[in-house]
Amino acid sequence: MRFFLIICFCITYNMQAIGQEYDFLIKGAYLIDAKNDIRDTMDVAISDGKIAAISKNLPVNLAKKVIEASGLILSPGLIDPHTHVFVGSKSKTFADGFYSVSPDDFSFRSGITTVVDAGTSGWRNFGTFKTNVIDASKTRVLAFLNISGTGMSGDSTQENLSDMDAEKAYETLKLYPDILVGIKIGHYTGTDWLPFENALQASGKAGKPLLVECHLPEYSLADQLNKMRPGDIITHSFEEIDERLPIIDSEGRLHPFVKAAYERGINFDVGHGGAGFWFSQAIPAYQQGLVPNSFGTDLHHFSMNSGMKNMLNVMSKFINIGMSVEEVIEKASWKTAQAIHRTDLGHLSVGAVADLTLLKLHKGDFGFIDAGKNKIEGKYKLETELTMKDGKVVYDLNGLVANKYH
Amino acid sequence: MDVAISGKKIIKVAKNIPENTAKKTINLKGYYVTPGLIDMHVHVFNGADTESYIANALTSLPPDGFTFRSGVTTVVDAGSSGWRNFRQFKKQTIDESQTRVLALLNIVGTGMYGRYEEQDVTDMSPTMTANMITKMFPDILVGIKSAHYWGDFTQVDLAVEAGRLAEVPVMVDFGEHQPTNSIEALFMKHLRPGDIFTHTFSYGPNNRETIVDEDLKVKPFVFEAQKRGIKFDVGHGGGAFSFRQAVPAIQQGFLPDVISSDLHSQSMNSGFKDMSNLLSKFMNMGLTLEEAVLRATWNPAQAINRKDLGHLDVGTEADIAIFTLRKGDFGFLDIRKTKIDGDKRLETEMTIRAGRVVWDLNGLSAPYWESEFK
Repeated sequence: MRFFLIICFCITYNMQAIGQEYDFLIKGAYLIDAKNDIRDTMDVAISDGKIAAISKNLPVNLAKKVIEASGLILSPGLIDPHTHVFVGSKSKTFADGFYSVSPDDFSFRSGITTVVDAGTSGWRNFGTFKTNVIDASKTRVLAFLNISGTGMSGDSTQENLSDMDAEKAYETLKLYPDILVGIKIGHYTGTDWLPFENALQASGKAGKPLLVECHLPEYSLADQLNKMRPGDIITHSFEEIDERLPIIDSEGRLHPFVKAAYERGINFDVGHGGAGFWFSQAIPAYQQGLVPNSFGTDLHHFSMNSGMKNMLNVMSKFINIGMSVEEVIEKASWKTAQAIHRTDLGHLSVGAVADLTLLKLHKGDFGFIDAGKNKIEGKYKLETELTMKDGKVVYDLNGLVANKYH
Repeated sequence: MDVAISGKKIIKVAKNIPENTAKKTINLKGYYVTPGLIDMHVHVFNGADTESYIANALTSLPPDGFTFRSGVTTVVDAGSSGWRNFRQFKKQTIDESQTRVLALLNIVGTGMYGRYEEQDVTDMSPTMTANMITKMFPDILVGIKSAHYWGDFTQVDLAVEAGRLAEVPVMVDFGEHQPTNSIEALFMKHLRPGDIFTHTFSYGPNNRETIVDEDLKVKPFVFEAQKRGIKFDVGHGGGAFSFRQAVPAIQQGFLPDVISSDLHSQSMNSGFKDMSNLLSKFMNMGLTLEEAVLRATWNPAQAINRKDLGHLDVGTEADIAIFTLRKGDFGFLDIRKTKIDGDKRLETEMTIRAGRVVWDLNGLSAPYWESEFK
């Protein structure tokens, strides 16, 4: 009898041990993972913050918690490559200011687990940004460092040529290789090419991309694109305001030199923002073969409530313009990770960090607005059901992982 | 009903207003139109003091990112600042926000800097608090907050004294006492009719007396307190809303007076999410849409003595929310990570603040893009 009890105890003990193998098992979702070339229904298991297993059918008794996800899309955590999140209390400014927003306010509810700040800080104030925001946020915050020493702190200081120090910028990139993904140039109203050359030099020396924003009214678009290297990124691709030549001409044609730059490997980011996205640019460009490489939102105080709203809304626009759901999600995860040289992110390989999101593709009658307050109608819209960061549930819209109250 | 807006104001509400009297007509057949929501319990004193908890700190959130997308046009900050730092709050957040930001002033001079500072009885001045309200900012400061006090009734009594001096209500977050203090004494002896009890459906019996007992019965004095005029506020937060309190209470006929969020960085991604989700949660617990909306519009406007808000009378500022009622299979979480199923969810289609469209989910107010070429 005693022997029998011992056997029983061992079996029970072992079953518990087996039962604890996975923290979560996501069952039956449609997995889109570009890196691993998967577009199929798959079970994904998570343990200790990492992807533990991927297979057509993983047994539910191996998991502490099973997430039933049939009918949902499973994507690697989305990456927003263009945000302004150096939030602080300074009025009427982005750097340490009220015009930036807190990343966690917008990220997880849009399926995003990584945001890239687009040069809100420079080498002089990156330390403040890191302490106040990057280290204090649950979202993974990466950043392009502005070539201007004080980042986006106001017109007079940020155009100071002597503060656009390539060596200082490069040294800062070297100090924080895990956070800083490149250099940005974005606000300069002069004619001197020194800021642009310095930005190219600092990023080139670090082997990282240059992000070019549009507020450079004296540089022609053709000159900017000619100086950029394959892998560099231009943002606000579909803007139609007078500070930069729009990529579509008045006859509705994509400028040939823009197409050539695209084909040469320059990455075109959406950078939606409050004024950076127009259907009159995006639709003809898409029809003529220029498909954006990433869906940067240009999230900040003035874009958040505009036609932008959140990154899934921006991605949904492109689904309704004609891209497939798979293509949109692949670009918002793996392609963006590649563009910022962070190939540890944007995929769900076994052993990768468990940053992921479950999305629902709604079918219905929707509308989408651009910066000119014009709209398109659409039949599709993505909504976040659940977001997981480092294997922890950080957003759960309908309680997929919750127990019933009763 | 048709509603006409001119400039910042509502100019007409009638069964049929002719289209040719308007520059722009928005067709809203099938949608629900309500006064702009009032979220009576938020923390929006956002700032970069990394030593601080809520005052001038990252736990507070800039309001505009959460309000308009959920139909909210007015928020009431619940004591993030006190008389010592209110002016900083006003300068850096209130004056910079598109959302109308009102505030309850903390009875503690430094507001919610940290739990330790919030115990400092020598920094709880009824006179300075009342003066800041009545002499300095009567249009913004609508009441007083008492919260996070570890001792007896001292803090509440000082807050009520300030409330008497300034003739404004006091909101009490009454927890973190060990052992717990009596909420019956709070409701019947210490608070006045019109004072507000928040975190109504919180469940943390070790440091906060609950309104529903362990047998899931609403304590009789809770109904008495509501009759006496104590206002019960939801203040959902990241730790203060549990179905095991709310579901039995509603079933037994106890409804909160005000539905509010307790918005801050630890609540925003929890079971709360946003005000339209929170109203939907109550609708799926049995409230009608009208009952839920009342508790986020006219009820809070009355509770904070701001009867210029929370309705759409002709002549009032045009703060308006427009909702779709989605039907489907939804779930709603509490802070204990238990859930209820539901079949309806409000979604904010459009928000108008002072006559301007500040949120337009599907472009109801926009022309088609091809019109640019015509």
